[in-house]
Amino acid sequence: MDSEKVIEIENLSKQFKDLKAVNNLNLNVYKGDVFGFLGPNGAGKSTTIRMLVSLIAPTEGSIKVFGKTLKQHRTEILSNIGAIVERPDFYGYLSAFKNLEIMGKISGKEISKNRIMEVLELVGLEKRCKSKVKTFSHGMKQRLGLAQALLHDPELIILDEPTTGLDPQGMKEIRDLIIYLSKEKQKTIFLSSHVLYEVELIANRMIIIDKGSAKVEGNVEELLDSKNVRVTFEVDDLEKTKLLLNNTLWIDKLDTAVNGKLIFNLSHGEAPQLNKYLVQNDIMVGAMIPTRSLEEYFLNITQKVSG
Amino acid sequence: MKKVFLLYFLITTICFAQSKDPNVIIKNLKDTFQKVKDYSADVDIKVDVTFLKVPEMKAKIYFKQPDKMHIESDGFAMLPKDGLYTSPLSLLGGEFTAIYAKDELFEGHNTSVVKIIPLNDKGDFILSTLWIDQSENLLCKVESTTKTNGTFTIILGYGNNKFPLPDNIEFSFNAVRLKLSHNSMEEENSNNKKDNPDSSTGKVFLTYSNYVVNKGIPDSIFLKKAKTSKN
Amino acid sequence: MIKLINIELYKIFKKWRTYIGFIAIAILVPVIEFALQIEGHKSLDFMTRDLQQSFIFVGNLLNTYFVSYLILNSLSVHIPFLITLVAGDLLAGEATAGTYRLILTRPVSRMKIVSSKFIAGIIYTFLLILWLAIVSLGLGYLLLGTGELMVFRGGIIMVFAKNDILWRFLLAYGFAVLSMGVVASLAFLFSALVENAIGPIITTMAIIIIFLIISAINVDLFQTIKPYLFTSYMGSWSMFFDKPIDTYEIVKSTLIMLGHIAGLFGLASYIFYKKDILT
Repeated sequence: MDSEKVIEIENLSKQFKDLKAVNNLNLNVYKGDVFGFLGPNGAGKSTTIRMLVSLIAPTEGSIKVFGKTLKQHRTEILSNIGAIVERPDFYGYLSAFKNLEIMGKISGKEISKNRIMEVLELVGLEKRCKSKVKTFSHGMKQRLGLAQALLHDPELIILDEPTTGLDPQGMKEIRDLIIYLSKEKQKTIFLSSHVLYEVELIANRMIIIDKGSAKVEGNVEELLDSKNVRVTFEVDDLEKTKLLLNNTLWIDKLDTAVNGKLIFNLSHGEAPQLNKYLVQNDIMVGAMIPTRSLEEYFLNITQKVSG
Repeated sequence: MKKVFLLYFLITTICFAQSKDPNVIIKNLKDTFQKVKDYSADVDIKVDVTFLKVPEMKAKIYFKQPDKMHIESDGFAMLPKDGLYTSPLSLLGGEFTAIYAKDELFEGHNTSVVKIIPLNDKGDFILSTLWIDQSENLLCKVESTTKTNGTFTIILGYGNNKFPLPDNIEFSFNAVRLKLSHNSMEEENSNNKKDNPDSSTGKVFLTYSNYVVNKGIPDSIFLKKAKTSKN
Repeated sequence: MIKLINIELYKIFKKWRTYIGFIAIAILVPVIEFALQIEGHKSLDFMTRDLQQSFIFVGNLLNTYFVSYLILNSLSVHIPFLITLVAGDLLAGEATAGTYRLILTRPVSRMKIVSSKFIAGIIYTFLLILWLAIVSLGLGYLLLGTGELMVFRGGIIMVFAKNDILWRFLLAYGFAVLSMGVVASLAFLFSALVENAIGPIITTMAIIIIFLIISAINVDLFQTIKPYLFTSYMGSWSMFFDKPIDTYEIVKSTLIMLGHIAGLFGLASYIFYKKDILT
């Protein structure tokens, strides 16, 4: 990889009394990446993110951001990071505008009123800028969290579950914003999310962690091999269908047949062809459901670990 | 016989010459003071008592015969009740027996020392001793023993006032430690704790000035409560 | 740093709980002063009853200075509670609100954050005492005027001339800021340890009350401990009403208070600096 490393985590561990929340974690994020940070609940994602933004001190290991160690260059590094850590909380008794103004002042940078309105507009909150944050819905607070992360135009944006609590329209808007920030503004995005298909759609690199350690890291496309798609066909007569497919090449692509469902590993474009073949042979196809490959990949990885 | 009579006469004269009539002395004192119908004066008060730390105070005193008194002050002033001499009558109230004790030279005054014993025990005084200037009929010193406040002494100094009114008074008394309410937190931080004897001699010095005598004082002044002239 | 302090002060004065102290003083002090205006002569007469057996009192001792002096004595419990309401919330409030994650991911050192909060807390303390002074002396002046001040200390009665009082009050209130600063520092320390403001408020008040009780019990062991308890110096403001003023004791008390403030702030800063933010 020729791109410069924005985040370098080496042998990172965090011990809390009886629990080792992060265990010898290694990962690299490159400039321009939209980096998916995945793991089941309790895997150590939040702990890692908190160490990344210096809310928690590591027990062992090192974190480098923009080529500098976080411990020694904390202030300098944080001036170029915008982050949402878990649920975004604000001063509820102050307005959205005032919260951002204060965040700007704390950062030590002169953030103009125009800039504040610009980021509020970017997240769709410009009309509620004077409202007290305690009147905001969860989704609105999520947007405001994103606004404060973008306020000082940082190079690295760390997003912990940014679409939680948003409606589908909102989720799409955030997704589009992330893509815009990545593609148009060349920002590096570190994205932790449970919405796997989102990560699949927008991330180019990812890591899956479990029990504090990295399980797999790499390029999303390479890891998921997304040329192949798993598709589930729901049919009225399973035995008839199996008999039909026995003497065809489709049988090699059949993975599982049970409870009226047949699961195939198909290449891109083969699903409609198979559908047409079944229908032409009087098989009633009730539904054709593509399986999200990252979801399955994720479950495979994490169940292997726990199993 | 003539010799016996002469001897008797001489002895009698000498004896009578040595014993004065205290009632006459008192009467003369009172009569002299009758010249004063009323007066007002400024008083500077200086207190010298171990457990009292007060700055010099000023007050104005009014007196009208026979016993009206009023005190005013711009600020706060405290004056000794027993030492607040306004007239000889303040010491000679009620029925009493006067006994001439002796003549004594006191601070340049030839004084007659007269003891006053109240005849009834309703009052506070048990015994008073007066030093009275013989020639000018001025009260120079008083020593009194009271039921409630022990013994006190008043020394009066006179200037060139044509009226029998003192320029200064020194009042000495037995200052018994007073029970005072206090704050428990303050106790810790006072540097005065060690200076609290249970009793000691206290003194109050009163200096009178600007006497205005016999110019008439309306009775209404004496109806006011002793308070600041501002209120 | 000034900017950070201004932000903290802004946040403090945007919270309703900050105004509890000011409102409490604005209600309590006038109530006391009105009551004393009506009944205060009886209290004064009672306090000076022994003295009035021997002396005639002329003048008005019931004035703003007397009342303000009485009110300053409420520094032992009442004012500390009002201080802890805000000081105890300075750090713990951020944890409760979840805003630690917001401010501590900013490019500003934790030391600056904790220092600015602490200084803002001390400024609040100063403003509260200033308010107490203004309401006590100001309203007292309007209701009762000025005059001499009679003070009972250690069995001595002291009367201060009218022009010899105000400067003593100014220094006394100044010292009160210092002693309440210790209270604020203690609450601030506890605030660094927990995630809820109730804990620091209750704990600080409990410590003050326990120390006061220990100081009041006449047992040798307790009397030995007493000089080391900061509550023993909280009343040192009254030393400005001594004749003569014991400069040595005042300087000693001042240094002890400053030492407490420095120590408590130092400890709070260290804890905050090292703290893992899990909220």
